[in-house]
Amino acid sequence: MLQLAQEVWKNRELIWALAVKELRVRYKRSALGFLWALLNPLLMMVILTMVFSTLMRVPVHNYPIFLISTLLPWTFFSQSLAYSAESIVSNGELLKKVYVAKSVFPIAAVVSNLINFFLSMIPLVLLLVVFRFPFYWTWFYLLIPLVSLILFTMGCCFFFSMVNVFFRDMSHILQVLLQAWFYFCPIIYSLDFVPARYRTLFRLNPLVYPLNGFRLAIYYGLLPTSQSMVLSLGCGIVALVVGYKLFQRSQDTLVFYV
Amino acid sequence: MSKVGAISDSERICFQSVVQRFRLIQERPDTLREAFAHLFRNRVSYHDFEALKRVSFVIRQGETVAIIGRNGSGKSTILKIIAGVYRPTSGRVKVSGKVSALIELGAGFHPDLTGRENIILNGLLLGLSRQEIRSREQQILDFAELGEFIDSPVKQYSSGMYARLGFAVATEVDPDILLIDEILAVGDAPFQEKCLARIDDFRQRGKTIIYVSHSVPSVRRLCERALLIHDGVLCADGSTEQVLAAYEDVLHQAVNA
Repeated sequence: MLQLAQEVWKNRELIWALAVKELRVRYKRSALGFLWALLNPLLMMVILTMVFSTLMRVPVHNYPIFLISTLLPWTFFSQSLAYSAESIVSNGELLKKVYVAKSVFPIAAVVSNLINFFLSMIPLVLLLVVFRFPFYWTWFYLLIPLVSLILFTMGCCFFFSMVNVFFRDMSHILQVLLQAWFYFCPIIYSLDFVPARYRTLFRLNPLVYPLNGFRLAIYYGLLPTSQSMVLSLGCGIVALVVGYKLFQRSQDTLVFYV
Repeated sequence: MSKVGAISDSERICFQSVVQRFRLIQERPDTLREAFAHLFRNRVSYHDFEALKRVSFVIRQGETVAIIGRNGSGKSTILKIIAGVYRPTSGRVKVSGKVSALIELGAGFHPDLTGRENIILNGLLLGLSRQEIRSREQQILDFAELGEFIDSPVKQYSSGMYARLGFAVATEVDPDILLIDEILAVGDAPFQEKCLARIDDFRQRGKTIIYVSHSVPSVRRLCERALLIHDGVLCADGSTEQVLAAYEDVLHQAVNA
């Protein structure tokens, strides 16, 4: 872990430049530019609200806020994964020519999506104002689910960016996996809707803990149990350690397969 | 591979029976049926290929050494090992000092970013800090001579402009060891002359240069020593004239065979 911290510190300027490049390229030459970072989650929210609140009548007050409180962190997670899975492969030509610490590419993918995530908090705040929804003091607690989510995302990103080099099927599998994972997470519904006997099964999903932290703090104005906080941080740390170890083990051979 | 700790002060690069083995993927379904069989077995066959076979040499501080040999003989593999891109399969490699590679200029340029944005990104990729890049930006711009193109996306550049910018950034890294792989083939005559002048400047400042090229005149002009690689084996190591003579023999054999 110490090594990861050193690598990040040593390459901090490069990571930042790559992350900014990622965003620039994503929004360059589109008329609305960075506004898309704000519009995208809003449009997604409108669609999901129409389907689940208006058509299927999910019994939740202020459904848009209920939804967006977990949709935004989920988008950060899934986009980071989608981007980082390709990050080593798409920089293959470069890696074959110059020596660069390989970890900078998945890290930059996460950082760029983190910037996007912070930008997408702006529409969330606007929404709260429009709905005259209170800002609970529990917003201060958001740091814990946020850190947990970043750690967990980073670990997964190390894993998928590495595996995709050796096993290109992974990027296809990942698309399906993310789709399934989305419905398996309490985003469009809450765990209370799940029949009690299945709930244990849902608790095996490590994303449940940080996502619930976001929803409780933003929508309910409540704090999660300390057990849930520990679990959410714990899952994040384990994912990062395992993901980085696996990444490190194969980083010298990556270059022969990109 | 350890990057620091030379055996003696003046040794910059030391290879001790270095072997580099690659896995070659064999995909050659001859018939449609075989193609389908491949699809379902989903296993491509591999065979190992030794790009370098127990190569040993020492290069000292201030030397300008040419590596010559036919296509696919292993020249670029040596450069990539020195640059740290490949970790050799076996053998020992010691490299001391900062390495910068002019291996295919402009690797790492992003087509949608402007020349100026790419200078920063490429400089960071080559190990410069943002501040170092900023202080050298003017020299880079002067050398690359791109004029107003510098603020256009590099996908609109001609290959010569691309190469000029790449060379300008890579040589501003101010390395202890400079690796040059077949780059003078691009660019027009004045630019080539400018590149050679910059390489001369590196030599005068006592830098170590490894030069890979098929161009005999430029090897003669730049290098006092040469290594001949043939089929992954180091065949000759000596003065440029001696080694070029040995290279002639190799080429003749190839033509007659």
